[in-house]
Amino acid sequence: MKTGFQWVILCAILGASGCSSLGVKPWERNLLAREDMLMEADAIDLAFDEHIYFSKEASSGGQGFAGGGCGCN
Amino acid sequence: MASPCEVLIECKTKPTANKLIRLAQREAARIERKFSRYRDDNIVYRINEGGNGITVDAETARLLDFAQHCYELSEGWFDITSGILRRAWNFSDRDSIPTQQQIDKLLPQIGWDKVSWENPRLSVPLGMEIDFGGIGKEYAVDSVLKLLQSQSEHSLMVNFGGDCNASGPMIDGSAWMTGIENPHRPGDASAVIRLKNGALATSGDVFRFIQHDGIRYGHILDPRTGWPNTDSPLSVTVAAATCTEAGILSTLAMLQGMEAEQFLDQQEIKYWCYR
Amino acid sequence: MQLNKKKVAGLLSAATCTLLGSPVQAEENDWDVDSAVLFYAESDGRVSAFEPVISATKDLGDDETLSLKLVIDSLTGASANGAVPSTQVQTFTRPSGNGSYTVDPNETPLDDTFKDTRVAYSMNWEKPIDRNNRRNLGFNISKEYDFTSLGVNALWQHDTNKRNTTYSYGISAELDDIAPVGKVPEPLTSMSAQNKGASSDSRNIVDLLFGVTQVIDKSSLFQVNLSLSEADGYMTDPYKFISVVDNTSGEPTDILFEGRPDSRSRQSLYAKYKKMLANKDIFTASYRFMTDDWGIDSNTFDFTYRFMFNSGYYLQPHLRLYDQSEADFYNYFLLTGENPTYASADYRLGEMEATTVGVKFGRELDDQHSWSVRLEQYLQSGDASPSEAFGQLTQQDLYPGLEATIVQFNYSFKW
Repeated sequence: MKTGFQWVILCAILGASGCSSLGVKPWERNLLAREDMLMEADAIDLAFDEHIYFSKEASSGGQGFAGGGCGCN
Repeated sequence: MASPCEVLIECKTKPTANKLIRLAQREAARIERKFSRYRDDNIVYRINEGGNGITVDAETARLLDFAQHCYELSEGWFDITSGILRRAWNFSDRDSIPTQQQIDKLLPQIGWDKVSWENPRLSVPLGMEIDFGGIGKEYAVDSVLKLLQSQSEHSLMVNFGGDCNASGPMIDGSAWMTGIENPHRPGDASAVIRLKNGALATSGDVFRFIQHDGIRYGHILDPRTGWPNTDSPLSVTVAAATCTEAGILSTLAMLQGMEAEQFLDQQEIKYWCYR
Repeated sequence: MQLNKKKVAGLLSAATCTLLGSPVQAEENDWDVDSAVLFYAESDGRVSAFEPVISATKDLGDDETLSLKLVIDSLTGASANGAVPSTQVQTFTRPSGNGSYTVDPNETPLDDTFKDTRVAYSMNWEKPIDRNNRRNLGFNISKEYDFTSLGVNALWQHDTNKRNTTYSYGISAELDDIAPVGKVPEPLTSMSAQNKGASSDSRNIVDLLFGVTQVIDKSSLFQVNLSLSEADGYMTDPYKFISVVDNTSGEPTDILFEGRPDSRSRQSLYAKYKKMLANKDIFTASYRFMTDDWGIDSNTFDFTYRFMFNSGYYLQPHLRLYDQSEADFYNYFLLTGENPTYASADYRLGEMEATTVGVKFGRELDDQHSWSVRLEQYLQSGDASPSEAFGQLTQQDLYPGLEATIVQFNYSFKW
């Protein structure tokens, strides 16, 4: 599984560096600027989910820092 | 505001700009709701229906104080009670002018000196009306800019249908470029004004006038006579510290007819006058 | 008929000052407040939680913001303590060492002493460094009667490619102090001996995060995050047990406190895609792969689709799929004579699958207010009859599983 993981990372890095052709002009951001199109939209829901699954499963984090651990795991 | 309104903000993120725009839009809507004469649920309606007079809020009181100042310093050339003249003048019907008899019937009901204003109580005699139309839009421009400035350090420009006010130069130090429309060639900027801060307001009758017997009657009426000055320039644009000042000065200049430029020169202000 | 030649402009400017000088009346939206309450209830009267949260963000101007968040988490109910069911009545000493509780034959042993209130407070301060760089500093503290957590984090975000690409670099550090009721048990010693050591122990966790967010086109964006996490210190759950069973009958002969390694390294890769469709509906998909040196690999898929209605209402179905492999030291039970360095029967370290199905319904009232309600069903299952089972164990449910209902109300407003 370790090699699989490294392979995924390599793809991510290649993907990230190949991005300069993507994107929009500043005046084309009307949809992206909406609050519901932010990657962090529904922050409270994400935080609740993070907390619930942290205390019921063995995985946590990923999107950001979990913040404020708890004694439940 | 019955004209295209824009707010230009130079800032780093779209959410910030969106927030400021929403704030601007709310403030403009608030002022329009509160001071429009076309509504029956606001302070202007209550004043004009008021009979024995009503007590007004602090913001309305400031506007009334200001209107009184303008009436006094202009010796009656600016008068917020002159709105009823529209009953005689119909600028959507472009070829007929009222008779002197029609005007004479209205004149006794015009004159701020007939109104009793003792802050905060205002009493308007029956048949008379007050109307903030002459300063409302300019006041909205200044208020919106002031509100946005209190919320942000960004460089801002508020423009409501050509009456505009800027908070400062753009980030790189350059001025906001503002075009003044040439009344002879609508849609074409005849002068580009470089505005770093301060306001511009334009009065003109490019689109609202009556052509009768070869004489052009503009929509800016002299409150004392009930008639427009038929020798008015086509448009006057004035630069001043605030949009409200610029608006009053350009309106007064229009009423000066042939002497408009002379009047503007005496004020030692920057102006653009088109005939 | 000409206006007197005096200086109208000067007088006018004084009058305008009086008019505009005083503060303009307008609502000021200084704080964006998000509030919510969550109800979480497991079936069969196991854990239930009530969790109110309030989060407020103040715009300090020029893209500088300060966020404060307060969470209160109140838990009650019973949870699986790790021991296997037996054909006999089992007796467990309470964590305090005083008193005991019994578990009926063929029932999953549940610890019913679970009752706790957690208060967590966090703050975040985001400030632009220049046109293309932002920094975000955070602090959080969380307290419950047997656990204290303190954390700091810093995130640097760099925009490039005309702000279409954003790189994020973050670091966070957390210090946890665990002070179990009845002191820290000695790992893998018999519960009956009540061999307890220090009154508290601690662990520290350092996380590193590297992320790229890329705008793809006018209506979609993509994010990839790579996280590394190193935890050192006390990682054992002081309230969990593992059964030692008779090698032929499968009946428990002893109950041990569990014991886990004192370090854990995790790596995770997280990818998220978000797209707005022509009718303003929003589709979001995310995937996380996590692996750690305890031998756990997990996959998490998460999908939401927000149907936007013209009236300002929206309806958002949610599907989450999760699976994990078991930790190397996870065992349903230990055989008599087995003497491992680490062992845990905590269901959360076992092989499992979980599915969450939910729906959220909400409305943007105007710029000022919005509300939503969310209902979710969480179902967790593992292998209840593993091939390792023998004797009486083949008759028992060795992986209890979990079914929970989540109800959440959100209300956001400006203040």
